Amino acid sequence: MEITTLSQPSLLTQLRALFVIARKDWKVFWRYPLNAVSSVFQPIIWITPVYFMGKAFSTNGQATGFAAYSGSGDYMSYILLGTILTNFILTVFWGMGYALKEDMDAGVLESNWLTPVSRLLILVGRTLTSLLTTTITSTAMLIIGATLFGFKPTGNTFAALLTAIPMLVGLYGFGFAFAGIILLMREANTLVDVGSFLVQGFSGTNFPVKSLPYWLIPVSLMLPLTYGLDAVRGLLLETRTLFPINVEIIILIVFMFLMLWGGAQIFYRVERQVRILGTLGQH
Amino acid sequence: METTITPRSLGKPGILSDVLAFYAILRREWTIFTRYPSWIIALFIWPLIFPMLYILTARALSGPDGSGLAVFIQTTGATDYIGYIIVGTTVWMWQNIVLWDVGFSLRNEQMRGTLESNWLSPTWRFSYLLGHTGPQIVSMAMFIAITALEFGLMFGVRLNGSGWMLALMMLAAIPAIYGLGFAFASLVITVKEANAFVFLIRGLVMIFCGITFPVAILPEWMQSFAKWLPQTYLIHGMRAAAFSNAGVNELLPDLIPLISFGIFWLLVGYFTFLWMERRARRTGAIGQY
Repeated sequence: MEITTLSQPSLLTQLRALFVIARKDWKVFWRYPLNAVSSVFQPIIWITPVYFMGKAFSTNGQATGFAAYSGSGDYMSYILLGTILTNFILTVFWGMGYALKEDMDAGVLESNWLTPVSRLLILVGRTLTSLLTTTITSTAMLIIGATLFGFKPTGNTFAALLTAIPMLVGLYGFGFAFAGIILLMREANTLVDVGSFLVQGFSGTNFPVKSLPYWLIPVSLMLPLTYGLDAVRGLLLETRTLFPINVEIIILIVFMFLMLWGGAQIFYRVERQVRILGTLGQH
Repeated sequence: METTITPRSLGKPGILSDVLAFYAILRREWTIFTRYPSWIIALFIWPLIFPMLYILTARALSGPDGSGLAVFIQTTGATDYIGYIIVGTTVWMWQNIVLWDVGFSLRNEQMRGTLESNWLSPTWRFSYLLGHTGPQIVSMAMFIAITALEFGLMFGVRLNGSGWMLALMMLAAIPAIYGLGFAFASLVITVKEANAFVFLIRGLVMIFCGITFPVAILPEWMQSFAKWLPQTYLIHGMRAAAFSNAGVNELLPDLIPLISFGIFWLLVGYFTFLWMERRARRTGAIGQY
C-alpha cells in the first residue's frame, strides 16, 4: 500500500524542528525566573554542609586524609568541579526522560509523535536548551562557589573540556534508553531521584572512588561516568587518577559508541512496543 | 417592603461534629496513604541513600589511615561519624517531608478542585490540616525507625544513649516542625507555586543547623543565625541523647528553646491559617489554581 504524505522530510526540516523545540523550551524556562535562580543556588546549598564537614576533618585548612586518596587536599575544588559536571550529566542523563513525562502530562506527546520528525531528534532537541541554561546557571554557580569556597584549577582547561565531550555524548545513549523506560512505565520521579543519587554516589561526584568500601568499587568501575569525572579532574586539578588519563579517554570513547548504539536500540524497541499497546497517550 | 431572611443550615456544629469531621479527614488521608504502595519503596530507600553521599564523603575525608577522622573526633567529640551524620540528615529529611506533605496538603486539595467544597462544610477548618498531620506523623515514625534499623544492621551504628531521651527530643520537636508546616501550608494557598520556598527553608536547615558538622565550626554570624532555627537544638539534643548518657537535665538547654519555638510556630501556623482563610474567601482565591 502506498502512503501519500504532504510532509517532505529533509535535513533542513529536521534541523528546523530541532531549533523550534529548543526555542520553545527556552521560552518556558525563562517564564519561571525563580526556578532559574533556584538552579544556581540549589547545588551550592547541597555542597555547603560538605564544606563545613571538610573543615571538621582538616588541620590548618588541609584535608590530609582526603589528599591521601585523591592527591589533592583542596577538596572544595574537587567537589565544585564534580557538582558542575553532575549538572550537565543530569541534563543529558535524565532530561530526555523527564521531558517525555512532561509531554505526557500535558497531553501533547501523541501529537508530537505524529509529526514527521525523527523521534531521537525530538529527544535531542529537548536537551539543547537545557544544555545552554545549565551552562549559564553552572557558570553563575561556579563564580559564587569560587567566591565562597575557593576554586583553584591548576591544570589544562582546554584538555579537560575536550575530555568531557565523549562523556556527555555517550550519556545521550543512556538518556535514549531511559526515555524508553519512561514511555513504558509512565512514572519518572522515583526512578530519576533514586537513580541519580546512586549514580552520583558510585561515580564519585563528591569523593574519590578509591575511598569506597572495596565491595562497591567494582560497581563504580562499571560506570563510564567514573572515568569521565576522574579524567577531567586529573586534567584540570591534577589529581591522582585511577588509570593513566589516556586509558580513561579511550574507555570513554568506546563507551560513547556502545552507549549511543545500545541506547538507540532500546529506545526504538520500547517505543514500538508502546505504539503496539496504544499507551502513548496515557499517563 | 423589607424582608429579613434568617439563614438556616442543616449542619449542627458542635464539639462532637468537629471530632467526627476530624476523624473522617484522618481516615481519608490514611486511605489515600495506603492506596499508593510506592511509598514503601521510598520508606526503605531514602533513609539509606540520602545520608550515603555525606557518609561516603566523610569516609574519603577520613583518609586511608584515619588521620582525618582523628581530627573530626577531636573537633566534634563524636567517635561514630556515621551516627553523627545520620542524626543530622534524618532531621533534615523530616522537615523536608513535612514541608512537601503537610505544606502542600491544602494546595493539593486546591489542585484537585475539592478545597472550595470542603470549605463550605460546617466544620472547624483547621481540622483539614490537623487531619493530614496524623498519618504523616505515623509514616515519619516508621521512617525514623527504619533509618535506625538499616544503619544499625548494615553499618553497625549503635545507640549508646537512651531511647527514651531520644523519643523525648523528637516529641518536643513535633510542634516546631509541624507548626512551620502549618504556616507554610497556609501561605501556599495564596502564593500558589511554592517550590522555591521549600528549597529556601530546607536550604537554611541544611546550611545553618549542622546536619553534618558541629555548629561551632561556623563563622560567628552564622552561629548567631543558627540559634533562631529550632532544628539546630533538635539535632544537637538528638545527638546527645543517642550517643551519650545525657539525661533530662543535660538536654534542658536544647529542650527549652525547642519547646518555646514549638509554641511560637504553632501560634504562627494557626494565625497564618486564619488570616489566609479570611483573605482567600474575601478575594475568591480559594478555588483558583
